[in-house]
Amino acid sequence: MSGRIWLVIVGMAVVTYLTRAPLLLFLARRPLPPRLRLWLRMIPLAVLPALALPLILVARAPDGARAALGLGHPPLWGAIVVVVLASLRVNFLATVAAAVATVAVLRALG
Amino acid sequence: MTQIGTAGRRVREGLVASLALVPSVFVYGTVFGGLAVQAGLRAIEVLGMSLLVFAGASQFMAVPMIAAGASPLAIVLTTYIVNMRHYLMAATLAPAFATFPRAWLPLVAHGINDESFAVAVARQNPPDPWVFIGSVLAVSGSFIAGVTVGIGLGGLVADPARWGLDFAFPAVFLALAVSQLHGRADRLVALASGALAVLIALWMPGNWHIIVAGVIVSAVAALVRDAEGA
Repeated sequence: MSGRIWLVIVGMAVVTYLTRAPLLLFLARRPLPPRLRLWLRMIPLAVLPALALPLILVARAPDGARAALGLGHPPLWGAIVVVVLASLRVNFLATVAAAVATVAVLRALG
Repeated sequence: MTQIGTAGRRVREGLVASLALVPSVFVYGTVFGGLAVQAGLRAIEVLGMSLLVFAGASQFMAVPMIAAGASPLAIVLTTYIVNMRHYLMAATLAPAFATFPRAWLPLVAHGINDESFAVAVARQNPPDPWVFIGSVLAVSGSFIAGVTVGIGLGGLVADPARWGLDFAFPAVFLALAVSQLHGRADRLVALASGALAVLIALWMPGNWHIIVAGVIVSAVAALVRDAEGA
């Protein structure tokens, strides 16, 4: 288990360095083409919701995945809390803490 | 001597300009350290990842995937995609480092991060290399300090799901996503990608929905949106 984690960490470190070093070390002189810049800017915008929404809306079990969309599903309410607070530019820790607390309270009540 | 003097002064300038970010970067590190320990990573692994990878969003992404036993290839590829935005920053920083001692560039490159990039570019464009380095020192110092504190705190909570802490990961991703949205077109990209990822996750096991939805939707957006404003 531990060896596998280090394999993952070193792999992550290598590919991340490959995103930082080449253009700086070779002193790229020209700015990147506009459409490439736009794509690089769009990637985090697209990847972060692609990470988050399935964790919230898809329940995975050994026999398959199903949508978890009911109003009695605490993470749905936690997600609403995050979107509202983060849109209002509330501090990061406060936003995450409020969402976590919402889920904990709903679970305790349910 | 004078040159070293000015360099030192500009490093300090970058440090001071980044002080306002120190508390939030520290807290971000603390949340990461705590959750990573909760997810079953050992302290040395959490610290090692933070020093070697030093890219918060991708680290947050990796932890639940590691805990769920995802394939190393999927984790590493997702990390690469999440961190591709560094190309943008490196390309913008490169001209500023043209006269900089070359031997230091491999180390400087490792310090590239969103916050320091924003601080350095906001002060002057092309940015001042020493101001950027000063900011990297402040940001990396507070991130690693935060992670260390988080590792200590994370061991204190015995039953994470009871406190809703398993929801902290999606909450972090969603908060990061929302904080990057500027305008309707951005929101459309985020919604489309999230919806596509949900659909893929419903019929495809594993974690490939993240890369597939993220790459497809960002590429389509880059093709159809007006590129000049980017």
